Amino acid sequence: MEEEILIKLAQSGDRKALSEIVKKYEKTIYNFAFKICRNRERAEHTMQETFLSMIKSLDQFTGKSKLSTWLYTVVSNHCLMLMRANKKFENSASFDDDEALIDEKSITDWSVSPDKIMENSELKEILDTAINELPPDYKIVFMLRDVEGLSTEETGEITNLSVAAVKSRLHRARAFLRNKLNGALRYA
Amino acid sequence: MLNEKVSCHEVMNHICDNLGEDLNSPRCVAIKEHLDNCDSCQKYFKSVEDTIQFYKLYNVELPSESHKSLMKKLGLEE
Repeated sequence: MEEEILIKLAQSGDRKALSEIVKKYEKTIYNFAFKICRNRERAEHTMQETFLSMIKSLDQFTGKSKLSTWLYTVVSNHCLMLMRANKKFENSASFDDDEALIDEKSITDWSVSPDKIMENSELKEILDTAINELPPDYKIVFMLRDVEGLSTEETGEITNLSVAAVKSRLHRARAFLRNKLNGALRYA
Repeated sequence: MLNEKVSCHEVMNHICDNLGEDLNSPRCVAIKEHLDNCDSCQKYFKSVEDTIQFYKLYNVELPSESHKSLMKKLGLEE
């Protein structure tokens, strides 16, 4: 059944339609939340809060934006709230200097390719550690734009940032993560 | 304009700025030309692409218990 019809049915109280919508997006939302907080319990909690918010506000959904964009907005806000509660990111001054993030001297091939990620727990730990060092705003932008594949404009709409601000955060997040992985994955 | 000189540092900055965007300004063309002929910049480009790919491919399964718990919380158990 088309999503638009499912939404209308769910808005009129059809629980089967609502269940279909939840089933359609639960994996995406859980994965996104996990990728942001790198913790299964928090990902589950965030997924629950996201769908509770969705049900609470479903009547207000007009279809102006895609349901997926709306859900990404809700889950991103929940993730940001959780991360901002963590005082670790109060001072992200080192992210203000673009020039310092580009390191021309450490250019080399890497010892492992991305297709090995799911079979390598040490590698997963390296990725978790690196991304956990990113300030919340940067992490969300990187996840939405690069990992989920949303456009720069959609990412701006979800995060309430201008296109220029999205691009600036994306630049720094990419360079920062690349440097972190380069330190761990380059051939000695 | 096609002979515009760009440095490796500028190219690396450009990669982080514009990966995934299709840009055709004279400056972008100069940067692409530099990239085609510079081993260091090609390696940097690949490492940024791989960084994104690592995070794209690192997925987790939704545990069936989490699914059940969600449906219960939402009052949608079957």
